[in-house]
Amino acid sequence: MENGTSDGRRKFLKVASHAIGGTLAAGVVAPIVGLAIHPWMKETVYGTEEFVNIGKLEDFPIGIPKKMTITSSKMDAWNVFEGLVMGSVWVIRREDNSLKVFSVNCPHLGCGINWGEDVKQFLCPCHEGVFGIDGGKISGPSPRDMYSYETKIENNDILVSYKRVI
Amino acid sequence: MSAIRKWFEDRTGISALLKVALDEPVHGGAKWSYIFGSGLVFLFILQAVTGIVMAAYYSPSSTTAWGSVYYIQHKTSFGWFVRGVHHYGSSAMMILALVHMFQVFIFGAYKKPRELNWISGVVLLMFIAAFGLTGYLLPWDQKGYWATQVATNIMGTIPVIGKYIQVFHQGGADYGNFTLTRFFALHVFLLPVSLVFFLFIHLALFRKHGVTPYWKMREEVVKNRVDPFWPDQVYKDVVFAIGMYAAIALMVFLTGGAELQSPADPASNYLARPEWYFLFLFQLLKYCQGNWLIVGTVIIPALSVIFLFVLPFIDRNDSRYPSRRVPYFGAIFSGLAGAVALTVLAMCHDSRDVHIIHQREDAERQAARAIKLAERGIAPTGGLSIFLNDPISLGEKIFKESCNGCHKLKGEGGETAPDFTDFGSREWVAELLKNPKDKKYFGDSGAMPPVKLPDGSLLGMAEFLVSQAGGLFSKNTDSLEKGKELVMKGNCVICHAIGDPAAKKMAPNLTGYLSESWLKEFIKNPADPKFYGARNKMPAFDKLNDRELDALVQYLLSLSKDRPLVSEGGRSNKVYTCLYPGRLGVY
Repeated sequence: MENGTSDGRRKFLKVASHAIGGTLAAGVVAPIVGLAIHPWMKETVYGTEEFVNIGKLEDFPIGIPKKMTITSSKMDAWNVFEGLVMGSVWVIRREDNSLKVFSVNCPHLGCGINWGEDVKQFLCPCHEGVFGIDGGKISGPSPRDMYSYETKIENNDILVSYKRVI
Repeated sequence: MSAIRKWFEDRTGISALLKVALDEPVHGGAKWSYIFGSGLVFLFILQAVTGIVMAAYYSPSSTTAWGSVYYIQHKTSFGWFVRGVHHYGSSAMMILALVHMFQVFIFGAYKKPRELNWISGVVLLMFIAAFGLTGYLLPWDQKGYWATQVATNIMGTIPVIGKYIQVFHQGGADYGNFTLTRFFALHVFLLPVSLVFFLFIHLALFRKHGVTPYWKMREEVVKNRVDPFWPDQVYKDVVFAIGMYAAIALMVFLTGGAELQSPADPASNYLARPEWYFLFLFQLLKYCQGNWLIVGTVIIPALSVIFLFVLPFIDRNDSRYPSRRVPYFGAIFSGLAGAVALTVLAMCHDSRDVHIIHQREDAERQAARAIKLAERGIAPTGGLSIFLNDPISLGEKIFKESCNGCHKLKGEGGETAPDFTDFGSREWVAELLKNPKDKKYFGDSGAMPPVKLPDGSLLGMAEFLVSQAGGLFSKNTDSLEKGKELVMKGNCVICHAIGDPAAKKMAPNLTGYLSESWLKEFIKNPADPKFYGARNKMPAFDKLNDRELDALVQYLLSLSKDRPLVSEGGRSNKVYTCLYPGRLGVY
């Protein structure tokens, strides 16, 4: 075979091989990346209920915080877990029947906050954080007021949106 | 050369390495007949990358395997495609490995000094088969579960040590969590590592001895015509690779990807069929009964493998001309012909076997139902538990308690109301039209006159009537249009309203006949003027709550053989191609 034509042919073969090989690689990789990044595109672990029912309004005394356990069902990829304990909240029923629901976790380092009935204040046992009955910070290392949740009352049922803290 | 490249080159010598890898001289010139080996390397890489990303979603245990594969298949955006590529890629690998083997055989490339190339190739072929076998079980669906049982039971037929081998692979006396963890470990760790090891040997030996050109090529051409591997041979290899990938991708699109049947149910009796490339072995076993079983399970397969291993040592004739190797051509091609014949026999038999056909239909319905139910999440007790809270099961219970007393079903129950065997199917409706006063339908209380038309027209009318509810298997548009005309322009509309759901005429309103909402309204109040009105004899079931009513309706819909077990559409598994003689299919 002549050298000149052979060189030209080889040059073409190199370019063509790169082009075809590149297309092939892209075609193989694209769907694989598409599958691999699935957790960026879709929630894989989540509570199935937007609002969790924690009981009737009359179950809660006016002015005294009551600790309630939140149970909800959770989707974990293909599994559904029913009646799972998601955590606890402090529920305060005000005189006008409005509600305030706080996270039991201290905004400082996440310790469980207790209600001090004698002092009528929320007390965090870890670093002596003190909060008022309205959740406002009184003293201690916490950077903010207590976390709370959006709440609504429907047919006397108390519904708490446990997914997001406020 | 950029500074970075130079820095890298100084420390790694990578371009020298690439030169060694790609500058292999191809004696006698680059050829299309050499593409199969590199095609297999490409397919192996394809299987590896698709497998790795699926392993990031898969969970090998008897309670999670099905759910995780369901998730890959139906809940991710590209999972069905990646899994489909992996599935068809495995078949492609099997086909290509055989083609490669036969090309090497025909060219006589196993002869001295390439005996070990051939032997390492036979080992690789067996690894590919082992990949197929272990991978089939991993989804833990009905077909994988039962087909793999056949394979492990075959292990058990080996004399003396068989039981130990079987228990070792199963991880116990029966199938369970350890069967999956073991098959998973084999499929994703041991087999890939072993395959790469032997592939390395295979390629190193190939590089040592070079290609084996066409036997008629003259010595001086082999000596003087030398093409560089890059780009001359690589170009051909890469064209072949993209062609294969396109074919695999096309298969995936056409079939909707790999099938996922309903979760493995150890209590069911499922007629197991292996993947197509093991069908010949399966068929062979049919001829080896009783004491002869071992001939099919052990002796013939072992002899075939031994023959492949020793071939380079018994065919020691230097000539590569086929005419000088007639006995070996005879042996290997009669082996191939036998395997093909057995495969075709197995396919023919299955395509005619009523039990197999019914089972496939059932399996498809069951799979569609399982996928529908899994949508709401699978309880931690495992894939099979989705059927526990299945409305159809509840609906069956309600039917037996409240309806079966008057409505007969499959030979059981009362006779005062229409028989509900195959309720709502085309034939059920067509027969009703033909003779409403039959005791199977309204008996003497029937007020409707029979429709005096040929059976084909009645079926067309039935097609139109039941198609209003949607979700039918295999719609027949032609007869639907004819049927629609017969209903709308014939005598039906004198008594029946159709088109306006609220219209009231002498006989029941047929708008949305037998659809979910029609059935629900009907069951709640059959005496409504839009249904039977004053003629009604059926009690109203308005005491059923929404869930119960829904369950009952789902159950009623499931009685028709013309419907999948789902109330609404959605991308169902389309694979499940019947095996027609002479056509490769996947089920």
